[in-house]
Amino acid sequence: MYRLFAPRNHNSGCFGGYALLTLWALWLCSGSGALAQSTAAPANTSTPFSTRVTHLLGLPNTKRNCNGTLSIQDSVLHFQPNGKPGVQVNMASVLNLSLGDESKQVGGLPAKLGKAAAPYGAGRVVSLFAHKKYDTLTLEYVDSNGGVHGAIFQLNKGQGELVRNELVARGVSSSSGEDQPTKQSTSEVTHEDK
Amino acid sequence: MDLLCGGLRHDCHCIFGSAGWCTQWSVQVERIDPGRVDLAHSFQVAIYENLLEELDKTKRFEYVLREGDSKASEIPDLLTLKTMVVKYTPGSETRRAVTTVSGATKLTVRSQLVTREGRIVMERTVNGNVRFFGSNLRATHNLARNIAKAIKQSNVAIVRASYRDTQPQTLNADGTQ
Repeated sequence: MYRLFAPRNHNSGCFGGYALLTLWALWLCSGSGALAQSTAAPANTSTPFSTRVTHLLGLPNTKRNCNGTLSIQDSVLHFQPNGKPGVQVNMASVLNLSLGDESKQVGGLPAKLGKAAAPYGAGRVVSLFAHKKYDTLTLEYVDSNGGVHGAIFQLNKGQGELVRNELVARGVSSSSGEDQPTKQSTSEVTHEDK
Repeated sequence: MDLLCGGLRHDCHCIFGSAGWCTQWSVQVERIDPGRVDLAHSFQVAIYENLLEELDKTKRFEYVLREGDSKASEIPDLLTLKTMVVKYTPGSETRRAVTTVSGATKLTVRSQLVTREGRIVMERTVNGNVRFFGSNLRATHNLARNIAKAIKQSNVAIVRASYRDTQPQTLNADGTQ
């Protein structure tokens, strides 16, 4: 007779081994979950933190849309573009920071040209799936003359929260609301002429 | 005739010519006032930074200063550029790529050039859109470029402070009183 599930013989010595194995697996799973939670929250503000970002605009003497490493150490925020001299911003000079998200088409100009050249509107179908979500980190800070600067960085989804937590842990004030430009409807305000 | 000139060089072609009645102003850009429009912080910062860059490119101003810059107090002929967001329509790059006709990001702002005395020298409502290619932040670049273009093309007579004090006047963007 073919049976899919054979009744387990509880009297065998093997059952104790199974139970132990199950308990060990459960303990391992719960332990790894706790480990993941601890990495998400910044533990120590003195430890350096770095992540890969794209500088969209704002930093002096830095090209737009250039990739680099954003690192936080002690009281300095440092952006190091690939193969270029870096830019430092003192944490005390940061006025405000906010987090937002953007959805962008991937592939750049080559992908755009390819989609435009594709017959029967196939490029549009590709566009439906060829987009990626990013986090944007916006900083406002003052220079040595007191002039207000703004800088915008693009990060992988989920990284923005980590960077913000790191900066907030180091005393930078964060704006209460997050940037949500895509979720709002058309806003229009008419002001009277002065 | 180009009325908005750098008269300190005395090689301009403005109505005051080499008589020295005109002077080159500096401009201080204020941060963007979102008004009652719920504009993302990144957009406000992007407009501000793009404005500084585009105004610098026009070469119309001796100095282009940021808000809060301490050098502003030392500059005699200083205009302040105030920008208030009037309308904002959020768009989507994916919708633009898929449909072509929808998903445009549109920005409308009111820009004012104001003297130290609070006199409005120029006031314009300017649009900045991104309709086909580019990310949503591209709208801020287009907007800043249009504001700089409006300032460049405006027939605002920029006169020296002493002349301005004796002949108080407020000029519209088209040069009429």
